[in-house]
Amino acid sequence: MFSKFATKSPWLFRINTGSCNGCDVELATTALIPRFDVERLGCKYTGSPKHADIVLVTGPITVRSEDYLIRMLDEIPEPKVVVAIGICPISGGIYRDSYSIRGPLDKYVEVDVNVSGCPIRPQSILDGVAQAIVIWKDKIKQFHEA
Amino acid sequence: MITLSVSSVFAYLLFPGGLFAVLFGLLLLSMERITVARFQGRVGPPIYQNIFDIIKLRIKEVLIPEDVTNKLMFCIAPVFGFVGMMTAIFILPVSGVYGGTGASSDLIVLIYLMALPAVSHILGGSASGSTYAAISVSREVILMFAYEISFIIVLFTVALAAGAGEGALFSLKGIVDYQVIHGSFITDIKMIPAFLAFVIFMLATLEVPPFHIAENDGDVMKGYLMEYSGMPLALFEITHALKLVVLITVLQVFFMPGIAGAGIIVNLLWFIGKSASVVVCIAFIHASMPSFRVDQAFKFLMIVPILLSLMSLGMVLFL
Repeated sequence: MFSKFATKSPWLFRINTGSCNGCDVELATTALIPRFDVERLGCKYTGSPKHADIVLVTGPITVRSEDYLIRMLDEIPEPKVVVAIGICPISGGIYRDSYSIRGPLDKYVEVDVNVSGCPIRPQSILDGVAQAIVIWKDKIKQFHEA
Repeated sequence: MITLSVSSVFAYLLFPGGLFAVLFGLLLLSMERITVARFQGRVGPPIYQNIFDIIKLRIKEVLIPEDVTNKLMFCIAPVFGFVGMMTAIFILPVSGVYGGTGASSDLIVLIYLMALPAVSHILGGSASGSTYAAISVSREVILMFAYEISFIIVLFTVALAAGAGEGALFSLKGIVDYQVIHGSFITDIKMIPAFLAFVIFMLATLEVPPFHIAENDGDVMKGYLMEYSGMPLALFEITHALKLVVLITVLQVFFMPGIAGAGIIVNLLWFIGKSASVVVCIAFIHASMPSFRVDQAFKFLMIVPILLSLMSLGMVLFL
């Protein structure tokens, strides 16, 4: 019963793993600006990974950001949903096979939603978040049965 | 004198304390979010959003970091503020609806209870061992020093004004009864500076901009709440909702306890209407103000509200 209500309040947390900032600009100015308002889905940006439900990862995972990414993903309480934003965490994008890249993201964690684009469009971010909420509902059920 | 009876347990747990206050506070918080969103040209969340947030936090995993400095304090810190606010709601009268406990000096108790949420932030934040929490706790302590002074001066001003020349009246019920007979203090020119000082104190305690220095998402990332997750975080959110209800009720007890009619239902609706309009005013300030730096906020709080409240105190004493 609670899972139905809980899906109305997904809190977002974003991790930048050496992104070129294109996707971050789209993310930061998408969710809370007047035109594309995800607060009406109940979403809220959180500053702390321990409050988060949906993790938005941007960037191709550079050598320097690898340790921080692993630590951040550990700090997010279950049940959580991981969304890869942009082409970089999915495949490496234009940085693929570069000497300083440790990606893609699914080496470290099970990715639930891939939102591709370079940079992504705000509409596809909203679509990705909406799909993540659907997946999150199943995860809450599994978490409670376990 | 407080005696343990069915009606006082009912008042503590269901109405107007406990369940009613929690739900009412959560609805007011979401209403504030909606109003801020409307001021910014957004749609905003639905009205029941904060209740869903609490339900969501209940089903999340609770993480306790390995490097907390004091595990016991980290776990019990949220309870202090929650209990303090529950008790504060219980002793506060709602004019025409609920008489409070009727104890003769509950105004003094209120001073201590109102400080408890900040104390629980300080205890929990400093026990969590996070750097963000440490910075935020130091800011909270600095602000608390500044705003508590003006609150105490306002409180004594109201007590003296309600005493009407025969010493101070430290009973909340007495203050409400005095104003119901002689007219609300907000219509009294002598009390307007104290009212403004109390509004500034309210903004500083609620940590809405321009005073959201201790939990600003932009630099300290929710500060003292950094390491909390799941149920303890939900308890902090509930405490915040209760704090909003307590502050609005105190505002109404001190300055505008006028009653609308004879029935309980009419007065309850009048109370809810007054609270909602106060929240809309808070949301307007929230949406239109940037944040102070901590030194600017300290200077502002040490000068403006204290001078305003002293002005009122002087007028009440000597005019």
